Amino acid sequence: MAAGDAGDLPQSAPYADLSVVELAGDPAGEALGKLLATMGASVIKVELPEGAPSRHVGPTAAGARDDDPDASLNFWFYNVSKRSVVLDYRTADGMDRLLALLSNADVAITGWRPSEWAALGMTPAGLREDAPQLIVANLSPFGLNGPWADMVSCDLVGLALGGPLNSCGYDDHSIPPIRPGGDQGYQLTASFGHLGVLLALLERELSGQGQIVDVGMHDCLSVSAELANPYWFYPRVLVHRQTCRHAQPTPTQPALFATADDHHVYFALITGEQKPWQSLVSWMESKRLAADLADPAYDDPAYRLANFAHIQQLVEVFFLLQTAGDIYREGQQRGLPVGVLNAPEDLPSDEHLTARGFFVAVDDDAPGGPHLYPGAPIRFSACRVPELTRAPRLGEHTSAVLEVDTAGSGGAQ
Amino acid sequence: MYADEARRPGPRRGPLAGVRVADFCWMGVGSVATRLLADFGAEVIKIEDRTRIDTPRKLPLYKDERARNFGEEVVGSDPDKGGLFNNYSRNKLGVTINMRSAAGRELAERLIAASSVVTENFAPGVMERWDLTYERIRQLRPDVIYASGYGHSGPHASYRSYGPVVQAVSGLSYISGLPGREPSGWGLSYMDNQAAFYNSAAILMAIRRRMLTGEGTEIDVSAVETGIGLLGPVLLEVTVNGRRTRGRHYPTGNRLEHRRAAPHGVYPARGEDRWVAIAVFGDEEWSRFVDAMGRPGWADDERFGSQQSRWEHQDALDAAIATWTSQRDRYEITKLLQDAGVRAGAVQNAEDLNETDPQLAHRGVFFEMDHPVIGEARFEGVPIHFSQSAPDNWRSGPLLGEDNEYVFRELLGVGEAEYARLAATGAI
Repeated sequence: MAAGDAGDLPQSAPYADLSVVELAGDPAGEALGKLLATMGASVIKVELPEGAPSRHVGPTAAGARDDDPDASLNFWFYNVSKRSVVLDYRTADGMDRLLALLSNADVAITGWRPSEWAALGMTPAGLREDAPQLIVANLSPFGLNGPWADMVSCDLVGLALGGPLNSCGYDDHSIPPIRPGGDQGYQLTASFGHLGVLLALLERELSGQGQIVDVGMHDCLSVSAELANPYWFYPRVLVHRQTCRHAQPTPTQPALFATADDHHVYFALITGEQKPWQSLVSWMESKRLAADLADPAYDDPAYRLANFAHIQQLVEVFFLLQTAGDIYREGQQRGLPVGVLNAPEDLPSDEHLTARGFFVAVDDDAPGGPHLYPGAPIRFSACRVPELTRAPRLGEHTSAVLEVDTAGSGGAQ
Repeated sequence: MYADEARRPGPRRGPLAGVRVADFCWMGVGSVATRLLADFGAEVIKIEDRTRIDTPRKLPLYKDERARNFGEEVVGSDPDKGGLFNNYSRNKLGVTINMRSAAGRELAERLIAASSVVTENFAPGVMERWDLTYERIRQLRPDVIYASGYGHSGPHASYRSYGPVVQAVSGLSYISGLPGREPSGWGLSYMDNQAAFYNSAAILMAIRRRMLTGEGTEIDVSAVETGIGLLGPVLLEVTVNGRRTRGRHYPTGNRLEHRRAAPHGVYPARGEDRWVAIAVFGDEEWSRFVDAMGRPGWADDERFGSQQSRWEHQDALDAAIATWTSQRDRYEITKLLQDAGVRAGAVQNAEDLNETDPQLAHRGVFFEMDHPVIGEARFEGVPIHFSQSAPDNWRSGPLLGEDNEYVFRELLGVGEAEYARLAATGAI
């Protein structure tokens, strides 16, 4: 539970001693809670009676009612291995129960803007008043202060204002920047939230005190466009989006190649280095598709650069005659940095992931289960992580966690 | 030893003060993973090889020089003027060791024995060639934490993984783009960042666990597996519902399948390549959005009468909205809609973020430090605000081998004659 009470940690999961209360309802806070839960923390998801907003976002499990709060795959994805407690903290009694939960918790995950905190009659510091050990991690769109702190956002708007969107899209700039898939604005916020919680936990080992960890999605995204800021810091130029390859100051050659099976591979053709060039030519020769590239004139990088367009065309044909999977395996075996663009359905049967046992079977509520879920992304030789468990049904653990007393009218449901 | 005494390492502040890291990491993904440790007080000693210069030192992001794409390296350029390296390696110490020499390897072992965390992200087999396996390192330092590479086992363990390849293989590129055409994927090495953050987190988890138990560990973070974990609910649609995503209708560009938000897109604003993102999630928000636009006539079109209907008619909806946005400045639209409580934001570039964004200025996200070769430079700060902690930004990135004498002589106790011999024989 609280600081210093480590119990029998050897062999047990990294967060086995941690108790977390999750009040956040967007993917940033929920992804942080999932990271903690996956690595062994006890995560109690506190929900209002209507259920977390994420329960009302599709898709739903096949065959379920659209409005079934227990059938949202969106909710399932972000809330594995947590427990659900319904607690109306908008009432005085519910707030008392919440504060009681927090008094024994290590981490509270919240996701409110300043005006939302005010509307709830709460402050991050207030949550810690009777819980000095508590770390309050607030993951909100713009953080807890500043001129934009109360602006509203979402993954798309966050990625736009924060900068990464400016680097993503197509060569054709009449097409707007395109948001990468998933909820990556929220996911980056969750990653920084996780690092913030970890640093606060380490600080607490030294000080005995928790603290407030204030994470704004906008701050996180503004430092997450890789080269865009350094290009501005140093040569003071902007990068421009290109199709499925790095945004750069000036246009570069395509890196996406179509394949015989109508899929794509990513391959950055770099002709400047001798070793990968020779690997590529010998690979093309092995399929009798090197054309003139084995000619000694191409040993000179300057000649290759001068004939880049010709080389690019031959590589396009070379890839168009093979399947994406074959290109990936053989290219990589020849030491070339080529990647197959897998679709999600390609992943569960991937030989490498299967050998590592990455996907794990979870006995969820959908028919035909158990189903495969992505497993823990971090492995330690010294300890195990617990088995994933399905996302909780709404209020499934209310009575077990709160030990409901029948007098609680406005609190536990 | 130091021409400028201000660059001499001193006591550090922060929750990681006292943790010494023998850091063999290189490239972006490795350098970012250990940057956070250095920011919060760890003594991160970056180990470099003078004959195999770290790529971020060579990528041509130079102050006061013309723009070059990052593939256009300048042969023979000064490794100390690379801006990307400075951004990634601030607050770290820098030493050089030639690991191909026996004396160099012996020195590295002494450094490892004096450290409690060892990090590396070489291709598989490199550390083994130097006999620096976890087993060997544990002999040198029994409670060591060893963060090694990205994904240790499995038939593809030796594959070349850098950001765009990881994004492709994990599915993150495929799920990004307009329907019916090639994926737009990513214009950055997103997974170099995310894999680095997951690795940072793993090291911090291991440090905390060692505080509680006294026990070290080896860490295995696979970048591809990390990427798969970021795909989102579509992955469960595949594994639970049996959905096939290949086809003409997926991915959906800037539109959402769930929730049925409409509009949910990026619209042209006044000016060249200027854009604004707008997202409306329900009827009440739609009503505020229409009011904010001054109730244009097209908004009364019956196709736009409900959230479901707007979602089904997004081509027409987007065209109508674009006629309104394209006549206005992207920040004017942002303010107008945000004042009405509608999610909207200009697509900002690095100049916008650094020069005019009032929120980032207020939050102090970027900061500046001087560098002996580059001069004053900007840095991307840690975007986390703590009520009780703060990053300890004490020095810009190390010059190549800048801390050799301090680390080898003062920390490891190498004698004057031996140090001179190591330098003369090219071991450091």
